[in-house]
Amino acid sequence: MSTKNNSTPSLDWPAKTNHVPKEVFEMEGLWEEELKNIFYGEEWHPIVHRAEIPNPGDYKAAQLGEINVFAVHGDDGEIRIFQNTCTHRGTSLVTESSGNKKELECPYHRWLFNLEGDLVGCPGDREFSPDFDKKDYGLLSLRVEAFYGLYFATMSDKTPPLKEYFGESFYEPLQRLLGGDGRLNLIGYQKVMYDCNWKAYCDNDGYHGALLHKAFAMLNWQGGQGTQIVTKNGHLCFDSELTMPDHVEALEDGSILDFKGTETSNGSIVLMSFPITVYTKHMDMLNIRYSFPKGPKGVEVHYAYFSHQDDDDEMVRHRIRQSSNLLGPCGLISMEDASVFSRIDKGNRTQGDAIFQKGVKDEYDIPLEVGQTDETGNLARWERYRELMGFERRAK
Amino acid sequence: MSKVSSVNKELIESLNNEYISALNDFNMDNWLACFSQQGQYILTAEENIRRNLPVAFMLDDCYARLKDRVKQVMEIQYDSSEHYQMRHFTQLISATESENGVIETKFNFSVYYTPRDTHQTETLCVGKYEDSIVIEKGEALFQKRVAIVDTNVLPRYVVYPV
Repeated sequence: MSTKNNSTPSLDWPAKTNHVPKEVFEMEGLWEEELKNIFYGEEWHPIVHRAEIPNPGDYKAAQLGEINVFAVHGDDGEIRIFQNTCTHRGTSLVTESSGNKKELECPYHRWLFNLEGDLVGCPGDREFSPDFDKKDYGLLSLRVEAFYGLYFATMSDKTPPLKEYFGESFYEPLQRLLGGDGRLNLIGYQKVMYDCNWKAYCDNDGYHGALLHKAFAMLNWQGGQGTQIVTKNGHLCFDSELTMPDHVEALEDGSILDFKGTETSNGSIVLMSFPITVYTKHMDMLNIRYSFPKGPKGVEVHYAYFSHQDDDDEMVRHRIRQSSNLLGPCGLISMEDASVFSRIDKGNRTQGDAIFQKGVKDEYDIPLEVGQTDETGNLARWERYRELMGFERRAK
Repeated sequence: MSKVSSVNKELIESLNNEYISALNDFNMDNWLACFSQQGQYILTAEENIRRNLPVAFMLDDCYARLKDRVKQVMEIQYDSSEHYQMRHFTQLISATESENGVIETKFNFSVYYTPRDTHQTETLCVGKYEDSIVIEKGEALFQKRVAIVDTNVLPRYVVYPV
């Protein structure tokens, strides 16, 4: 590692596209550049689904990079996302992860904002500076776009419109994952801190599935058809058929794996949007994983689970059972991922490169057509990361 | 609802001790033996309970699921887990007996964990158990044990029941 301009870290990036330098995970000084170039750059970040804050006054706190934000459901029915700060002296306005407020009052000097973010009261304003105008002191709002009830925020005015940013190969399955029409109900969260750099967390691939997750093999649960579609700007979509066994001998209660099926999926959709968010629809689980890097080390993941408004009681109960037992930090088919995140983090504090092999046809190419069980679907994302960070690739 | 007898209180304390010993000794068969044939185990977050959200971290809502939990820990995920030593500290807060003989108890708990690589002890979670206990043939068994963690954001993935 060396540094350019005395502060910006520089990396010697390998010529081969299937090699990623291990230093990239936790190198000193990198996180600040990632904030500037990626998290505060031209990217869309999911913050909240309408189902999480269904009523006026409902709010949810989140982070975008290191900036505290909150989404709030206005009296006018609109959902807005604000930086969590009073426009006077900067005091946090929301101090709990979620809740309901009729208005937003800063306790310090009692500046009062309505749910639409307007400053509606500030004691003693006759003695404020001559040019003071309440209209100039509304809450700091973020640019927002919604997709079937899922609200994305961006820090940049230059970010392309959401659909253009994702492309149809990503947003079409996302629509199916959101129940087809976005009419969802929140059924709960699982929140956890993973002991790894954020890039290790979202570097999961198509190769590991049936190899790492023994449950897949024990349940005779593989062999369905599927595709893996990669976009040039690093988004990834797995759309796979699940061929479920008639009888699950490995488990006493095989009903946990029932695929009651809706018309929106062949069984499994996994989406990864740049830079860090994973969305899944395995069987009957509808899951968004809001992910918050805690600097270079550690990533906090909030698994949010949903049912559909048209579900009957039995379907809701089924979704609850699956969501609680199959995914997340204790899940039958996902706990091993968390273990690998931690191991990758430790293992990458060694020399050399992390290497991708499965599916590589040309070590100097970035493939956008990728087989279902290949790991080359991640290379477009690494390439986008490299470009945004300004790391030059070594000559061939 | 009435206070439990001293005999039953002793059985409850004994059951809780067997439960935490099973987990702290990595003995999942003994963990399973703490439940009745109608037994249920739920591990969930205080936030989900407060907001009436039914998803849990673990939701073993029948005896077959409890048996599958043992298999998940001991077979399916055994070699891919980074194992850790747990240590439970519990405190009985209340115990009342209803007319149908079911005893409702509450325990506070704190659970520490010590990974086998760093060997540095940290807090896994803090919370409370809300239990329904039955006495069968002079032995107390959980009809239901719900572990509700105040630690809404767990500090790591969780391999074993709490």
